[in-house]
Amino acid sequence: MSEKNNIDQKKDRIDHIENVLASVAAGDIDARINSDIEDDLSGIEAAIDLLIDDLTDELKQREKMQKEVEDKLVKIQEQQKVIFQQQSDLLELSSPVSKVWDNVLILPVIGTLDSQRTQVMMENLLEKIVETGCTIAILDITGVPTVDTQVANHLLKTVTSARLLGAECIISGISPAIAQTIVHLGIDLSSIKTKATLQDAMIYAMKQNKRSENVKLQSLFTDYDKREE
Amino acid sequence: MLQLTSDNNWKKLGEHHVNSEHDIVSVRQLIRYYAKEMNMGIIDQTRITTAVSELLRNMYNYGGGGEVHVETGLVDEKQTLIVTCIDEGPGIEDLELAMSDGYTSGKGMGYGLPGAKRLVDRFEIKSERNKGTTVRIMKWK
Repeated sequence: MSEKNNIDQKKDRIDHIENVLASVAAGDIDARINSDIEDDLSGIEAAIDLLIDDLTDELKQREKMQKEVEDKLVKIQEQQKVIFQQQSDLLELSSPVSKVWDNVLILPVIGTLDSQRTQVMMENLLEKIVETGCTIAILDITGVPTVDTQVANHLLKTVTSARLLGAECIISGISPAIAQTIVHLGIDLSSIKTKATLQDAMIYAMKQNKRSENVKLQSLFTDYDKREE
Repeated sequence: MLQLTSDNNWKKLGEHHVNSEHDIVSVRQLIRYYAKEMNMGIIDQTRITTAVSELLRNMYNYGGGGEVHVETGLVDEKQTLIVTCIDEGPGIEDLELAMSDGYTSGKGMGYGLPGAKRLVDRFEIKSERNKGTTVRIMKWK
């Protein structure tokens, strides 16, 4: 009798274990066997409980890490947005054209000249030439580390379009290393006025200014003389 | 078919992909850094950087982007910086024409390849129609 009872009881407990395992498998990680009876089966029950505990921990850990990764991803995406924003800001900032003297514009170029930037630079320069009526523009490329054929091509195009608007361009700030590189590349920049330093370019621009002023003065004088006569 | 010089004793410095104009700039800056590390003078740094810039532009404009391998090692018993540009683009139809001054198949000035050749100590090019182009340039220290 007690033997049969015992077997029934064990069967119930095994059923319970099965139920618990099934609910854990279904995702209820809080299910435990929690048996109070001490016998041969209790060891197995305790081991299963422990395993479920471990599994729960692992799952929680994984969820936590997943969340961290997702957070980081969001952060990176935000940073990328900022970078793009700054890139476009820089594009605007990096091509300032300013009038430094009567009739003289200056455009300091710093960093890398890619096609997009050159486009912005050229537009700014041409607009400013029309707006101010200046006839001399200095492009200072001291801050450009590498001049390859594409950059040289862009510079040539900028200078040519400025000339079409009646302005003379002077390129200054060509370092000895870049000068040699340009020669080796075989690029012909002889159609452009170039000066070693910005200072030289300024001095040249002033001289040009003086000359044109003299011409203006002379024509004024001749007008005056004519009137006197 | 022309074979590119190679040596198993060369030390690999890096492998980079070029898929945008921005990549051109960053790889170029790395080349300048490697050249500096090898104690090249400022003029040689500028030369190799400019040559690499030409090749990367070609790769980006005509080859649809590609890979750059940077190595250092002995070539003719001289410490050398070796840069290999590999693309899987349409290839160059007439190499002799492409290597001549003033010829361009696109909108460039036509000084890219011949100019790059003049800027480095050794220049090797291998191109197959519809398979791609590989250019290896070397600059002694």
